[in-house]
Amino acid sequence: MQSKPNIILISADSLRANHLGCYGYTLPTSPNIDKFAGEGALFEKVFAPGIPTQPSHTTIFTGQHPVTHGVVAHGGKAKLARGTPFLPEILLEEGYTTCAVDTLFRERIWFGRGWEYIIDPSLHHLFYASVTQEELNDRAIHWMKTVQKSPFFMFIHFWDVHYPYTPPDRMRGMFYKGGNPTDPDNHELDEWWDHPVGAMARDTWLRTPNGLITDPNYVTALYDREIRYLDEGIAALNDALEKLGIAENTMVVLLADHGESMTDHRVYYDHYGLHDCCVQVPTIIKWPAGIAKAGTRFAPFRQLFDIAPTLLEAAGSELPEDLDGKSFLPQLTGKEEASGYDQVVGCESTWQAKYYLRTDRYKFILARYPDLLGNPDRELFDLQADPGEDHNIAAEEPEVVAELEAKLEAFVADKMEAAGRTEDPVTKEGPVAVEIWEQHRG
Amino acid sequence: MEQEPQKKAADTAVPKPPAKPDDGKDNPNAANEPEQVIRPEDEALVVERLRELGYIE
Repeated sequence: MQSKPNIILISADSLRANHLGCYGYTLPTSPNIDKFAGEGALFEKVFAPGIPTQPSHTTIFTGQHPVTHGVVAHGGKAKLARGTPFLPEILLEEGYTTCAVDTLFRERIWFGRGWEYIIDPSLHHLFYASVTQEELNDRAIHWMKTVQKSPFFMFIHFWDVHYPYTPPDRMRGMFYKGGNPTDPDNHELDEWWDHPVGAMARDTWLRTPNGLITDPNYVTALYDREIRYLDEGIAALNDALEKLGIAENTMVVLLADHGESMTDHRVYYDHYGLHDCCVQVPTIIKWPAGIAKAGTRFAPFRQLFDIAPTLLEAAGSELPEDLDGKSFLPQLTGKEEASGYDQVVGCESTWQAKYYLRTDRYKFILARYPDLLGNPDRELFDLQADPGEDHNIAAEEPEVVAELEAKLEAFVADKMEAAGRTEDPVTKEGPVAVEIWEQHRG
Repeated sequence: MEQEPQKKAADTAVPKPPAKPDDGKDNPNAANEPEQVIRPEDEALVVERLRELGYIE
């Protein structure tokens, strides 16, 4: 067997952790992913330090916190510095054949760094996120059969779970308990129509011959059907690895860049707001030749910037000094006890410009700018008493707020100093999508 | 302030399957669900709107 494993990194865009069976969901959205987790290792509490898609994938590929690499907004002005370490580039130098089945390089040029092959079937669609798992898998599996030279590193970016939620018609009926999806008297989604992404949904993928979809339970069912469809793709990919005879020493990492808010916290079917529904992500690794014990679940906090150092260590590569992440490979392989972080700091700068600090007990959210929803600048949630983060207790717990705010600001200041920044990147970018939208509205 | 890993024990339980398969396939209203028809002009509109928001170059 070759000493270096093949590595397949799968990003399921917008896949919310707790809508998977192996993360506690009660509907059978993910039988194959659950099986995959049972054959590998599952990390229960992994957080995205930056959301949404562009900041999070930049974090995954650089192993750096967003305050370090500077890309805090989707569609913002910041560009990734050329000297920043980038996972596929390093693996290429280590002798890996690298292949991205992905479209991100069309959004931001740095996502093209380090790929010997880039395959983009989304070119067949007007909107790249309309590409399906079947189209991506077809190309990925064909490449593995005919082109790859071991060891290889492949990145596959699935968009099925990202809006618009348009699952195959054969899934009609799944996960919906009935009622009338297009009831014109149901006004639960009316607030969403005032948001530009909601207005877009109303004018396109929620329009049906029966009328406008108005039942949020039905929209959530569409999202869950997309997960079930993705789940079929994960099974197909696993089967292909088995048939190719390379499953044993191929490290397959399944994760998401961020989660999704259904209607939580008045954020409708989108991925902003720094609540756990958006910042906690699934992370599952299958690697028969490397993982100490199949079915292991790791409870300590981990962050998406830990992925790059973990994969680099698995590849036998020396880790660059300027990574923020810590490899968890020794824990996967049973050489060390499970470990993690006692706090996580993350940010967003797209529809809101905010930071969060999360501990086992609390979530603290600090706004750099007022948000569109009229939330207060400081929010505190007791996650033990209120895991849904529904009751802001900042006013009742000023000492906790002061303590967590001091820790958050110290963390940001520390990262800024280490990166040589003189300006907080979230303050600098602001809520970029809101600013663009307001300019457009005149 | 650096975030240093803290040692904690791993839980080695195998993921539990869903408590009860309930995918709604028995839902008698399934046949009455609306058909989603995404026309090319709908997809083009999605692209136009997201481009306006700076999501797409």
